[in-house]
Amino acid sequence: MSELAVEVKNLTKVFATGLLKQYVVAVDNLSFDVKAGEVYGLIGPNGSGKSTTMKVVLGLMAPSKGSAKVFGLDSGDIRARNEIGFLPENPYFYKHLSGAETLKFYGKLCGLKGSELKDRIGYLLDLVGLEEAADRRLGGYSKGMLQRIGLAQTLIQNPRLVILDEPTAGVDPVGSRQIRDLILRLREDGFTVFLCSHLLEQVQEVCDRVGIIFKGRMRREGQLDELISVEDQHAMTLEGASPELIEKIHALVEEEKGAKLIESGHPRTTLERLFISIAGDKEKGEKS
Amino acid sequence: MSEESSEKSLRAPAKAVPLFSFARVWTIASSTVTQLVRMKTFYFLLAFALIIVGIGNFNIPATPAKELSMIKKVAFGTMDLFAWLFAIISTALLIPRDQEDRTLYTILSKPVRRIEYLFGKLFGVLAVVATSLVAMFVICAIMIYSRETLYVSAEIQAMEANAQYTPEEMQAQVELIRQQGLRPELTVAVLASFLKASVVAAVTIFISTFASSSLFTIIISILVFLIGHAHSLLSNYWTTQTDNIFVIQAVKVIKVIIPNFQLFSFSEGIVQGAPIIAAVLWQMVGLTGGYLIVYVLLSLLVFVDKEF
Repeated sequence: MSELAVEVKNLTKVFATGLLKQYVVAVDNLSFDVKAGEVYGLIGPNGSGKSTTMKVVLGLMAPSKGSAKVFGLDSGDIRARNEIGFLPENPYFYKHLSGAETLKFYGKLCGLKGSELKDRIGYLLDLVGLEEAADRRLGGYSKGMLQRIGLAQTLIQNPRLVILDEPTAGVDPVGSRQIRDLILRLREDGFTVFLCSHLLEQVQEVCDRVGIIFKGRMRREGQLDELISVEDQHAMTLEGASPELIEKIHALVEEEKGAKLIESGHPRTTLERLFISIAGDKEKGEKS
Repeated sequence: MSEESSEKSLRAPAKAVPLFSFARVWTIASSTVTQLVRMKTFYFLLAFALIIVGIGNFNIPATPAKELSMIKKVAFGTMDLFAWLFAIISTALLIPRDQEDRTLYTILSKPVRRIEYLFGKLFGVLAVVATSLVAMFVICAIMIYSRETLYVSAEIQAMEANAQYTPEEMQAQVELIRQQGLRPELTVAVLASFLKASVVAAVTIFISTFASSSLFTIIISILVFLIGHAHSLLSNYWTTQTDNIFVIQAVKVIKVIIPNFQLFSFSEGIVQGAPIIAAVLWQMVGLTGGYLIVYVLLSLLVFVDKEF
């Protein structure tokens, strides 16, 4: 059986708000697990309990009921946090530090030092493409650069589990694509990735399994392919087909009892793919 | 891909982490120093230097020795004020800001214990306060020494012009001025100010663990400091003016919770030439250490279960 990177069992988190101590159930009897080496996406609308669940897994919050474990260790255990690299939704770092100093600070907190730390900082700055901005203070970084230094910080101690909270929020499509490519690379390199997002298309592109959370409860969970495939429908994309061939196909479908053509026409690219292709062409043109 | 091959490509478990690490405390402390330096908090030294230059130009109608004593007293009083005020303000800017900016999220999601974070912040502030006090002392020392030299040469000139004084009498007069000038004992007054500022910083850290903002922390800390200064006065007043058992008990609780900052004001006596008793000094160092431990533990009590 695969090792479990994250194991959440019957997790309930209740918050008391206001002077009259009104209780709000943010997470309600939630159970799921993330296997080592997979990319798991927890998706749901804002306020569905994703971030609360993530904070419990990170040990920033204690569960009201139930438990959360990371590689078999209680999430409140300091040893569990050494296995985790966390990228918050908005990278919260000291703005007075430069990119390299930020990585040095977090590396030292994880027990790295000397040449090991120096080499790791160099490798990560290269990985996220920030070598040239290494000595610039974070106060002068753009949102995309902050997200990338955040990712580097996440990987500083080479953790087994990477937790990403809305990793592409507020990042432009090119930056967003780079982050998605990096997540896929992390999976290839054997990292376990647990991400929360409400951007469904992005989750679809990178996740092996997803859990859909709504009002603190798990509504659906499983392999992405199983969840999104429509069993009684079949899609076909043709290239170079003549209008006569299309006509024939239409006629054949009409002849078949019980079959119905739902959609036909030119497939459309997404606005995001169009943007990336234009931006890519422009960049190539400027370079040449 | 088979399960076996995918297992092989998984990452190895992390190295063991110590349950408490002085290296992590040191990392947070040195980062706190960098933070305070880059926030340009040392600019207040400029204001201090200007005040000291102003004090150095006081013209008080008194003998040179008395005038020098007065200038020294005001300069060291200002240094003491700047030290505790700086301790409050710089400490209040740290933890509430880390919470507001949510930098705490990323720090506490690393293998860092909350007590290590608190100790790191406290030691960072203490390092900055100590550096500031040394800088302020140097500024004061330069001013006092220049005034002392000026007074001595003016006194010698005046006595030589008068031609009535023997060399022994002139030497005694010069000695009288020098006793009010720059003396090695003044470094102990700096230590006294540091001890007071350290306790103030520890109290401020405790307040900042439950405060909602830096401003709230600063206001409450100053209030606590003032109550701590009027400790004996207030407790004597309340216990003699009322026989209400609740008020008396409340005063007793406040006396235990709020440090008696009057005890830490022994720098005034040293500046005025009072003898330094080593046993008292060690007692104050011990008391400061005790307060630091108690307030860090109280902070931890609030901070350990705090959810972010």
